[in-house]
Amino acid sequence: MTMITTESERDKDMTDHDSQAKAPLHGILAEYDTPTAVVKASKKVRDAGYTRWDTYTPFPIHGIEKAMGIKMTRLPWIVICAALLGLTTATVLQWWTNAVDYRWIVSGKPFWSWPANVPIMFELTVLFSAFATLGGMLFLNNLPLLAHPLDLKERFRRVSDDRFFLLIRARDAQFDEEETRKLLLETAPVVLDDVQEDRTTSAQIPRPLIYVAVLAVGLSIVPFALFAKARASTMEEGRRHLVWDMDFTPSYKAQSFNPLFEDGRSMRKPPSGTVAQGHLNADDHLHLGKLPGGGWATALPREIESSAQTMELGQVKFETYCTPCHGYAGEGNGMVHQRATALKQGWVPPTNLLEERLYYQPAGELFNTITHGIRNMPGYASQLDAEERWAVILYLRALQESRKTPASKLTAEERGQLK
Amino acid sequence: MSDDKKQDKKPTKKPARARLDANGDLIQLSDEAGSVSNTALVVGVAGIAAAVALSGGPMTKQFQHSYLTAYMWALSISVGGVWWVTLQHLFGSRASVVMRRAGEIIGASVWVMAILALPLLVPALVMHSNALFPWVNHEYMHSNHVLHAKAGYFNSSFVAARMVLYFGAWIFIANFWLKKSLEQEKTSGDVGFYKRLQGNSAPAMIVFALVVTFCAMDFMMSLDPIWFSTIFGVYYFATCVLTFHSVLVLTLMWLQKTGHIKKSVTAEHYHDLGKMMFAFTAFWTYICFSQFMLIWYANIPEETHWFLMRMEGTWQDASELLVLTHFVIPFFGMMSRSMKRHAGPLRFWAFYVLAVCWFDMYWLIAPNLHKEGMVFTLSDLAAWIGMMGMVAFGIIVGAKKVPLIATGDPRLKRALAFENI
Repeated sequence: MTMITTESERDKDMTDHDSQAKAPLHGILAEYDTPTAVVKASKKVRDAGYTRWDTYTPFPIHGIEKAMGIKMTRLPWIVICAALLGLTTATVLQWWTNAVDYRWIVSGKPFWSWPANVPIMFELTVLFSAFATLGGMLFLNNLPLLAHPLDLKERFRRVSDDRFFLLIRARDAQFDEEETRKLLLETAPVVLDDVQEDRTTSAQIPRPLIYVAVLAVGLSIVPFALFAKARASTMEEGRRHLVWDMDFTPSYKAQSFNPLFEDGRSMRKPPSGTVAQGHLNADDHLHLGKLPGGGWATALPREIESSAQTMELGQVKFETYCTPCHGYAGEGNGMVHQRATALKQGWVPPTNLLEERLYYQPAGELFNTITHGIRNMPGYASQLDAEERWAVILYLRALQESRKTPASKLTAEERGQLK
Repeated sequence: MSDDKKQDKKPTKKPARARLDANGDLIQLSDEAGSVSNTALVVGVAGIAAAVALSGGPMTKQFQHSYLTAYMWALSISVGGVWWVTLQHLFGSRASVVMRRAGEIIGASVWVMAILALPLLVPALVMHSNALFPWVNHEYMHSNHVLHAKAGYFNSSFVAARMVLYFGAWIFIANFWLKKSLEQEKTSGDVGFYKRLQGNSAPAMIVFALVVTFCAMDFMMSLDPIWFSTIFGVYYFATCVLTFHSVLVLTLMWLQKTGHIKKSVTAEHYHDLGKMMFAFTAFWTYICFSQFMLIWYANIPEETHWFLMRMEGTWQDASELLVLTHFVIPFFGMMSRSMKRHAGPLRFWAFYVLAVCWFDMYWLIAPNLHKEGMVFTLSDLAAWIGMMGMVAFGIIVGAKKVPLIATGDPRLKRALAFENI
């Protein structure tokens, strides 16, 4: 050790036992008693071309970053990458949940509407940036640092009080014990001191820290484990209610009395002159069976394809809703008709759908009958949507056609299928 | 500006009124620089006169709208100054002391704006012309129940009284700070002096917030009396901060270019102003979007029609252009540290911000006149140039009367040595 002051502080060092004394050199520490001195020394060390060195002061000193030749931090680049990642995450997350995975109309807005998503985009951008700023700052500064060779120096404690230090690391490419010492001596330090590598502090992470980390990781798994268990198993006691007022909202039945409204109805009428989304039904051909001029449409609307698929749909719906009265072939002899006739209670028989009158009736009029009903027959608009009603008509047309086609027109194979 | 250059080339004779501070900086506006105020006044009057001529008369709808657009842009500058000076006192700012006098001068120029409000207010309140404000029309204001309920607020004498109150408050606050700041120069660094000013600035800030909110509503929101947006005042306030900081940057640069306060104001101070310009670009966007999103989401007809008007035809393009030029471009352009510390880029962005803030005012006002689509007329440009002249006139006339640095403030030393970490 080179001492240039008369007071010897070597004995005061906390670690004067053998193993520490023999430890390799970590660096050379210069001590100053004024901020000006350490700034001056920094300029000298900077100009000498050293790169692995640092200064330690009790308070921030203006201009020392320039004196030390510290370059602008790279932190902003880390932060902007994190910010863009946050923005992307928020966008993709919201797009996927709202527009793809779980489409749900909220406030009558489109599934994917960007204004509603901006707050989350903004928040995740800020959140990711904030984490990246803190994390990046710690990373770039090699923090957290649990032990440092300077901690072993008794003298170094005054760094939090009234002394200013400059340490050149032995790892510096330009480090040369003699040359470096000479350079530092020229900066007129109060004390020049060697710093040995730390051989006394255990390199291991302190036990309590490990316990806390393990506990934290363990606890963070618990909620996910509970989710997984709940998804994979059944339980007898029913679902748990964490948010009571959401699970049991004070809802009213459609036809019940409601004190909240002046007219006492629970079910609200739509505001006059409004149409619910998807219920505009502006196409008269598709929804009313009428032509723009006013008469009944004779063909299927453009939206309904005259295909095997539509025919199958029509058959399924016909056999579900029409056959009870009209019978499978549409002759007006379904089970309900047979039973009612047997009971002899003044039953108006269902129409034979194959009769000439209906064969020539426009498709639009048939559609109107299915929609609104006729005589005893109720309307089926609430059970069958427009597409299904048209499909039924397509199937009905096939049934009617089958009665008009002479057997001679069929191929041998088709004739074979006839019973 | 060309006059200055000629005079710069002459051998530097010391102006008679020259006054130097401790740094050896010239802190009294030189006569050469001061003489620009006449040019500015000529530009101002000529610009406004040209706008009258181009639009066909001072009472035409086109002139009134062009003038209002330019006027709100110009008003925001001095109003921003009033706010900024109050803010520096409220925070006990040390770094800005060196620039505070320039801010005080800009704020105190609000009296020019009070006079320039007359071409808008006299036709509406005295001559009952509804060229600009539909609420002047009595029949219209009772045509439906929303308007009927608001009719009392738009009573002519009540509007006039409010206007007196707004400009009275601004002129009082601006002159109070300037007067106190000048008084301080005679007190030889009394600390208690600025502590008292700090106390005064809190109530002044509350008055300011109310006045700027209602003023923005009365001048611009009332162009569409049915529409309302509670955030509108804050929206205009964001513009005030942006335009003021840009003008402060340009004023300081002009003063330095003409040989004043050369050593006192450094890159460190400009850096601070640049940070505020950047921050308030983001703030403006935040407020702008908040206003849009809440109205869009709630979807109430009497609110949405205002945005609907700006989302159809060429106004849709204007809205998109506004987002691009007022947020995306300046946000990335003004982000870097070096932009704020170098005169060239900072000057460019100061001009840029002033230009887009005018466009913002145009976007707020013009759709009420040209509902069918964006129409940009020469009278818009002429009125704007005229207002630029008027703003410069107000600032230079104010600068002639007072030292350019608040030398009495004991924090000045800290301000001179200020450094950004």
